[in-house]
Amino acid sequence: MLQPFRVLAPANIEQASTELVRLGERATIYAGGAELILLLRYGMVHAEYLINIKCIDGLSEISWDGQTVQIGATVTHGRLETDPLIHERLPLLAVAESQIANIRVRNQGTLGGNLCFNDPHSDPGTALLLHEAEVILASKGGRRRIPLSDFFSGMYETALEPGELLEKVFVAPLPIEWGAVYLRVHRYQRPTLNVAVAAKLQNGTVEDARLAVGCVGPKPQRLSELEAKIRGEKLDGAKRICADSKRYLKDRLEPIDDLLGSADYKIYMAAVLLSRALSQAGQSNGKG
Amino acid sequence: MAEPLAPIATLQSFAIEIIVNGTPWKGNVPAEEVLLDFLRYRLKLTGTKRSCESEVCGACTVLVEGKPISSCSYLAFEANEKSVTTIEGLASGGELDPLQEAFIRNLGAQCGFCTSGQIMAAKALLLNNPAPSYEQISEWLNGNICRCGCYPAIAQSILEAAEEYKNRR
Repeated sequence: MLQPFRVLAPANIEQASTELVRLGERATIYAGGAELILLLRYGMVHAEYLINIKCIDGLSEISWDGQTVQIGATVTHGRLETDPLIHERLPLLAVAESQIANIRVRNQGTLGGNLCFNDPHSDPGTALLLHEAEVILASKGGRRRIPLSDFFSGMYETALEPGELLEKVFVAPLPIEWGAVYLRVHRYQRPTLNVAVAAKLQNGTVEDARLAVGCVGPKPQRLSELEAKIRGEKLDGAKRICADSKRYLKDRLEPIDDLLGSADYKIYMAAVLLSRALSQAGQSNGKG
Repeated sequence: MAEPLAPIATLQSFAIEIIVNGTPWKGNVPAEEVLLDFLRYRLKLTGTKRSCESEVCGACTVLVEGKPISSCSYLAFEANEKSVTTIEGLASGGELDPLQEAFIRNLGAQCGFCTSGQIMAAKALLLNNPAPSYEQISEWLNGNICRCGCYPAIAQSILEAAEEYKNRR
């Protein structure tokens, strides 16, 4: 049984933010509840008030402004997995979303909830880092737009300030002629680790590339040094550099032993998956 | 300037109207009541099982507006003005659903504890995709765990039920 709580139904972000400030630690944001209800049940979060942001108009919308896909915080994973706009503009995200846990969790859980919870073993963050996504954080004082890479500050930690909530995610499609692949290994419903790789190849040479890895350390990360290293290399050479990058990955990713895998295993597999994903991304050029 | 004390609706309980297996239900539920407890204790629909309470095992699967959810972790008030289908709602007029018949025929259960969840997940699949492949079945049901290991019989039951639905149309 869950401990009793009250549910607040704010009409807009300003009201939700005002209540968050007024109630402080007694309140928490409630969207899909796929993570929150479990935390409440197991006593890992205590809340007397749930602020139900599904009541706020506009937070469940997906739109396209000609350059960027805008995804509201309460859009569910199930919708992202099947939405035609996401399939057309962000196919890599649709793939990552389709891998989350199981169909029931995807029907209930929201993208905003997933990002704010920032569980290190998660799918969407890694995919969105590849797209250099940005988030809008809103409070009654106004709004700020920051890169998702800055939003993820640590394990289960984000850059949200008291009274702030995540309103939207801005995701730009990959440039044309890029190929992109999302791969994960898993034994249970959460990924043990995942990689997202995008590349632009010209005559077998990696002209440009983006690499992201999740679940190995406290938060998903882009690998900008490794990206720079493979730029200009032939695909085979670039794959070899990725496969041989374990020392760099160990320094960069702060690997952690956890229930899903040892730090050594995750580093080993990250190098394998990066190399494999780069190869597949090279073959899927233009379909990113 | 002082903040207004409670400027927005703050509810400890919700007056809800929902349709469970075709029958309307109207009343109050506490904010923290989950749909599983609502079904089992209020409506005495005990076919829906409590197991992991972590959205992992699928034993508590029910359909809300035709979509499967984990009723153990879904607040009952969220089902307001929606239709809920449980295992008790599948048979009609004393006749079992083709899924139920196929599970019996193929021994798609051993201990049976996960079976209502398996069948409800399968029902949602066939609503979504009337002719799923073996791979699509295994993908869709990856969150419904069977400790007895009846997976092949479960998949076979779903394939046969899909065929039966098609013949009946």
